[in-house]
Amino acid sequence: MQQIFDDIRSDFRYDHELNGCLNCGICTATCPSAHFYDYSPREIVQLLWTENVEQVYDVMQEKIWACAQCMTCAARCPFKNSPGGLVAIMREVAIKHGMQSAKDVLRPFGRVMLKLITTGNQLSPDMIQPDHFPDWGPNIQKVEGDLKILRKAIPVKTLQTVDTAWEVSLKTSVEMYTIWEMTGVLKSLEMMDENLFDVIEDFIDEKKEDYEDWLEEQGDD
Amino acid sequence: MKPTDNTPGNHNMTADGAGPGAMKPGFHNTDGQGIAGHGSFFQQADLSREEAVKATDWVRKHVDRRTVDLGDRMDDIREHMWELEREGEIIVHRITDVHKPATVKTLFGWEKKIPTNQLWHHKSCGQCGNIPGYPTSLLWVMNNLGMVPGKDYLDETDQTSCTAWNYHGSGIGNVESLAAVFLRNFHQAYVSGKQHGFEAGHFFPLVHCGTSFGNYKEIRKYLIESAELREKVKKILGKLGRLVDGKLVIPEEIVHYSEWVHVMRNRIASELQKIDVSNIRTTTHVACHYYKMVHEDAVYDPDVLGGNRTAIITSLSQALGAQVIDYSTWYDCCGFGFRHIISEREFTRSFTMDRKIKVARQEANADVLLANDTGCVTTMDKNQWIGKSHEQNYSVPIMADIQFAALACGADPFKIVQLQWHASPCEDLVEKMGISWDSAKARFQEYLKEVEQGNIDYLYNPELAYGGAK
Repeated sequence: MQQIFDDIRSDFRYDHELNGCLNCGICTATCPSAHFYDYSPREIVQLLWTENVEQVYDVMQEKIWACAQCMTCAARCPFKNSPGGLVAIMREVAIKHGMQSAKDVLRPFGRVMLKLITTGNQLSPDMIQPDHFPDWGPNIQKVEGDLKILRKAIPVKTLQTVDTAWEVSLKTSVEMYTIWEMTGVLKSLEMMDENLFDVIEDFIDEKKEDYEDWLEEQGDD
Repeated sequence: MKPTDNTPGNHNMTADGAGPGAMKPGFHNTDGQGIAGHGSFFQQADLSREEAVKATDWVRKHVDRRTVDLGDRMDDIREHMWELEREGEIIVHRITDVHKPATVKTLFGWEKKIPTNQLWHHKSCGQCGNIPGYPTSLLWVMNNLGMVPGKDYLDETDQTSCTAWNYHGSGIGNVESLAAVFLRNFHQAYVSGKQHGFEAGHFFPLVHCGTSFGNYKEIRKYLIESAELREKVKKILGKLGRLVDGKLVIPEEIVHYSEWVHVMRNRIASELQKIDVSNIRTTTHVACHYYKMVHEDAVYDPDVLGGNRTAIITSLSQALGAQVIDYSTWYDCCGFGFRHIISEREFTRSFTMDRKIKVARQEANADVLLANDTGCVTTMDKNQWIGKSHEQNYSVPIMADIQFAALACGADPFKIVQLQWHASPCEDLVEKMGISWDSAKARFQEYLKEVEQGNIDYLYNPELAYGGAK
């Protein structure tokens, strides 16, 4: 518990995001999540400010995941605190420590993480289909038709894609994988969701091989 | 009793309870209606005229002009960039005269250069996958202003998203990975002109996404402030071959596309506008990550809503001659929430209906709600239908500012503005603008048959997307 708190405090952004607290509550008054959840950015600031280690640990069990990261709190705070920024640090630490709350919360996010880590794009046209979002209604597109053809009708070549938001070159993807490896993102992912990590690792290996083959072809020319 | 004894401001002299002994000396004698609504606790400050002027000046200087005491933490980060460049630590990708910059003021009165030419389109992963009419409208407007693809702008495949949605939504990712992605993408922008025969720095990045814009500014700040972070990412960028003379490349400004629209609004209106929109009631939702993250850098203009709102979007509506309508929840987030729109949609759709769509209809009676970010357009566009289940039968068309501008300039609502991807009721707006929705739809359906045959219209030579022929 103390280690978790120390990890939060030792983040280089900590002093940037936490300066003090007047308890004025303007952060909570303007917080969208405070409308719907048992969540208060002021509580986050107060707990960290008063170094209440046990309660910091408690809010990391659930509450920190309510934050919508809109940063309204940061823009409003007269003390230049950023409760949303502090939550971002706490989420990173929760993942680093493999906290169950992080695992639970991230599970429904798996499809997006798979897309992002393998392609660099979060949302792709094939994800935004009526069967994935029934609550978006029966007419989420105004023209019926084959998705591929509808995308081909976009007059920008880079957007004529279905499984990525835009076409990303192979070299770019491989560079991104290097960043994930070198910054520990893949390691975090492995701790959070081993199955997802395995799928992503296979995908990355395949793409890297494709890139090696492409480089060899270039050499042959 | 003399008016000056116990009744500051001479108010309520004749009200019940007035008179000696009714209140403590010096306190306002009130029966509930004090000066400007103050209660009985109100006490006259009794400042001399000089003191009052001094106090008011302080308020004007520090509050009205938004020049709050910034302290050490709120230095203009760009000044530290110049220092680092002088020390040989970094290379600053500069905005020069060739980029034809316009100068605007930010929230804290700082000047910001907005390049208007030679732009590297940094696309948005949500926008391109979900509401592609936003980048197509932007490129269409640029083409119609005479900009030449491959020389005046570039749209290429060598870019990733900023990956900040993942970070804000899931916590997977970290400052180091975000910084490396930022530097990788912006290095590519810096060198991208090479394959077209231009010098390094020819194209300057134009960021389409609000979250990318906020994230990149935040990360740039951390990079400038933290030598340790620079050291870490330098190793990564070195391995990727993305250092220049062994140095990191950092852009002079982070520029959002809606800032480009803001500074080009009068040219758009005077050179391209074909449709009178004076009968259209527009209202605005600006992305949180545009003006709440690193808020000192957001663009404000005293001529746009008195400088009490960030200027973008509203300024475009004004330039086009639309009716600009304000509403009470303008400051609220759309409800996107990153993680929430995927896994806690009851939050997203409740917030967007209660705080945005319903208010935009009831208070502003808006014909259209204009935004400048992918997540906001998506959230407010897609989550209206479900409101019916709670008898919230409110709906309003949502689109990006540039889509509205393109419509006003005569762009095809399907082929260019791509409104077919929107769930909100755009039909009435288009008709109100004097454009036949049905005719445009019929034309588009005919066009789809051409597309099936491989006959596709492009805004520029598709080879350019891969660094090929001009």
